[in-house]
Amino acid sequence: MKRSIVRRLFQIISLIIGVIVMNFTLIQMAPGSLLDIMTSEQQVTDPATLEHLRHLYGLDQSPLVQLLRYTWSVFTFDLGYSYRQNAPVFDIIMAQLPSTLLLMLTSLGVAVTLGMIAGVVASVKVNKVWDVVISLAAVFFFAAPTFWLGIMLIIFFAVQLDWLPVGGMTTIGEQFGPVGHVIDVLRHLILPALSLGLFYAAIYTRVMRASMLEVFSLDFVRTARAKGLSKTRVILAHVFRNALLPVVTLLGLQLGTVLGGSVVIEAVFSWPGIGSLMLDSVMSRNYPVVLGVFVLSAVVVAIANLLVDLAYYRLDPRIRSR
Amino acid sequence: MAALLEIRDLEVDLFTRRGVLRAIDRFSLTVQHGETLGLVGESGCGKSMTSLAIMGLLPVPPAKITGGAILLEGRDLTKLSDSKMQAVRGREVGIIFQDPMSSLNPVYTVGDQLVEAIRCHFKLDRRAAAKRALDLLDRVHIPDARRRLDAYPHELSGGMNQRVVIAMAIACEPKLLIADEPTTALDVTIQAQIIELLKEIQRESRMGMVFITHDLGVIADVADRVTVMYAGKKAEEAPVDVLFDDPRHPYTRGLIGATPKPGDERRHRLVEIPGTVPGLASRPKGCAFANRCPLVFERCHVEAPALVHQAEGHAAACFLADQMEDCDVASVGA
Amino acid sequence: MTHRPPSAFLEFVVRFARNRGAVLGAVIIVLVIALALAAPWLIDKNPLRIVSRPEVWPFTNPRFPLGTDSIGRNIFAMIAYGARTTLMIGIVAALTATAIGVVIGAAAAWFGGWIDDVLTRITELFQTVPNILLIMTVVAILGQKIDNITVAIGITMWPGIARLTRAEFLTLKNREFVLACRSMGMSNIRIMAGEILPNAIPPVIVLASVIIGSSILFESAIAFLGLGDPNVASWGALIGDGRTLIRRSWYICAIPGLAIMLTVLAMNLIGDGLNDALNPKLRDR
Repeated sequence: MKRSIVRRLFQIISLIIGVIVMNFTLIQMAPGSLLDIMTSEQQVTDPATLEHLRHLYGLDQSPLVQLLRYTWSVFTFDLGYSYRQNAPVFDIIMAQLPSTLLLMLTSLGVAVTLGMIAGVVASVKVNKVWDVVISLAAVFFFAAPTFWLGIMLIIFFAVQLDWLPVGGMTTIGEQFGPVGHVIDVLRHLILPALSLGLFYAAIYTRVMRASMLEVFSLDFVRTARAKGLSKTRVILAHVFRNALLPVVTLLGLQLGTVLGGSVVIEAVFSWPGIGSLMLDSVMSRNYPVVLGVFVLSAVVVAIANLLVDLAYYRLDPRIRSR
Repeated sequence: MAALLEIRDLEVDLFTRRGVLRAIDRFSLTVQHGETLGLVGESGCGKSMTSLAIMGLLPVPPAKITGGAILLEGRDLTKLSDSKMQAVRGREVGIIFQDPMSSLNPVYTVGDQLVEAIRCHFKLDRRAAAKRALDLLDRVHIPDARRRLDAYPHELSGGMNQRVVIAMAIACEPKLLIADEPTTALDVTIQAQIIELLKEIQRESRMGMVFITHDLGVIADVADRVTVMYAGKKAEEAPVDVLFDDPRHPYTRGLIGATPKPGDERRHRLVEIPGTVPGLASRPKGCAFANRCPLVFERCHVEAPALVHQAEGHAAACFLADQMEDCDVASVGA
Repeated sequence: MTHRPPSAFLEFVVRFARNRGAVLGAVIIVLVIALALAAPWLIDKNPLRIVSRPEVWPFTNPRFPLGTDSIGRNIFAMIAYGARTTLMIGIVAALTATAIGVVIGAAAAWFGGWIDDVLTRITELFQTVPNILLIMTVVAILGQKIDNITVAIGITMWPGIARLTRAEFLTLKNREFVLACRSMGMSNIRIMAGEILPNAIPPVIVLASVIIGSSILFESAIAFLGLGDPNVASWGALIGDGRTLIRRSWYICAIPGLAIMLTVLAMNLIGDGLNDALNPKLRDR
């Protein structure tokens, strides 16, 4: 186990370096230098100031040197400086991260819970009405664009029924106590988490159903029944427990895409997070922040994979003895 | 007193897209208390289907019991509700399946799975159940049993796992043990050990046992009586000595010819029965063995032979059963 | 041998047709393609032209069967032309992704060793980076034009194909027929392209059909975020434009979203059908 953690750490580092190299190359391909974009925004034309800025950002050096300097600084938690917000990129990202994590984790929670329940029900009632209903719902939610689903939920629950807020993370201009604040945030969280969660729930439903059906056909299920266990106990304690393994794998694979999905959903619900930051930075070609977000997403995915490894280690004894 | 197990005219149908197929056709057998019955036939004959029917574990759909009765000490298991049947499984009837490596859940320890089986029927706390699990592992001669309780199935060999499966099957002291090809998936050397173990347990606990196999050599070793099954029907039944000395069905003769005789050093050529068991969809109108039978004549193709009483406890379903006495065993099926 | 191609094709069609969902998907896609092709004849040449007063509700004016949007453009025209954009981007991006993925996966499996290590690492790298972020960045850097968007989607979608191809090639690599070709002195390229690829391709085709659907979703998201090509009609952009009017005219958002959902749904159903038809061993699940 220790060895696999060390291996993972090594992977995380190589992954971050890979992300940096990839994005540096991408940005080098951009028409116009970083300086042009920066200066056009702040309308600096004085050649001396330009030269000073060029030196300050290290743009007078070769791309390779820039790359090495940046890579080194990333490992000292320095992601550069954003001229747009006038703040270190690391601080800007860290300020936005919690709300994005909240949205991501809630969506994943919704997705995994719904997906597992629906998948188990569909597999138990295979080819019966409930299976058909669940599978159809999964097919639809898998094909619906998340941002569109979000807008439809807003139209129905926020505009027509006026049950939930249209967007944002808190009610502006209202003062709540601590409990009231939490409830307020939760009320704002429901629709975005559902929009994102239902898409992934559709995926987990399909995987869980297939996985359950596969395990149902294994011999030990028959043995468990032959012991005299009830059907419910066999399904929960034996089939479900084994069917969980592919779902956990998928969970690790998908964390990166969930982060991507929250970018779009944040735009729909004006959720103040990494997504809004990223969109703004891409539009304004604020590359230090863009690069920073990529590094961050690599770290998030790497940590998620580590957690999945640990979960797998707990769930599957066959891995443990290897 | 009623027999321990009596299967009476059992019929199992498979409801498939291509129509209703009869898998087991008016099949009967009896097992007395403390007796071992050998159930023999090639694969596809309906042996495993019969064992699943007894356990109430037929895959429904497509399979369904459409006729007959399965009486356990006079109580018809086919009429029991699902929850009543649950109380029978493991407690009154235990079963051992073919492949020990896949019969155990890979994510739980051997001890957990044993404890689960025990606590399913006995009101014991975890500690007492664990103690009993340990005793059971000792009983099936697993060395270093205390340590093995915490082992996962993949950490044990096939033979060890089969011992665990046996321990699980006898955990609640069932009256009837069904061993469904318990040695087929094992190495030859391990096979003999497992059979010895089963014989020992059966002798000590006076359980009734149904020993299912396609290997007549094993049957000679364990069984008191033998039922030969072919294409979902009974072909012949007899006490074990009688069956080997005086087989009356050409299929039985074929099987005996195809069995290496214990202690036979000359290892003379095994006589295989040519052909295979007809598939469910292509069962003929007459005798199901007709297409492979060396003694076949016209009547066999139009009419299915009924069981004919031969002697005390000996019956065979063949038109020529009465004339079979002087026929040389080895010549049949050659 | 001469009889094989037609009968194999017939068998493929029969298996595909047995999956009712797949047939439905194929029908939907054919209708969408027909709409896309017929667009210039059905309605005027420029779907982005203002033709009426804004916010005409659907089914109220026969000239604008699906109504008009916030500035008075014909929604039906935008849907029809949007179908061209959507299908074009979906198909070309999926083809790009498949081409990249097959080459990388095949090379990794065939050469093995450090080449495999490096290529697998690169594949993992692309799999870790959230697709939408990468697409956004590439589009922002290269410019908001339809071909750039297509390329951007194509170069982010290939890792799945690469992994699948690699796995297929690895199992096929040591089969007798490949060893036979090697012993006959065939070149690497010829064995890979002529002998292994045809055997490895069926699952790749299934995945590619699903990638068309995902590409369509990504295109619509990019357009929705305002990073699309402003000069072509796009379903995603239409949803983005309609967002401000959800209180009064929510149909502007609803209609293009339904179009996206139906098209992606159809592609996924076709993927299921192809899976049934091309991988018979996986059927009956």
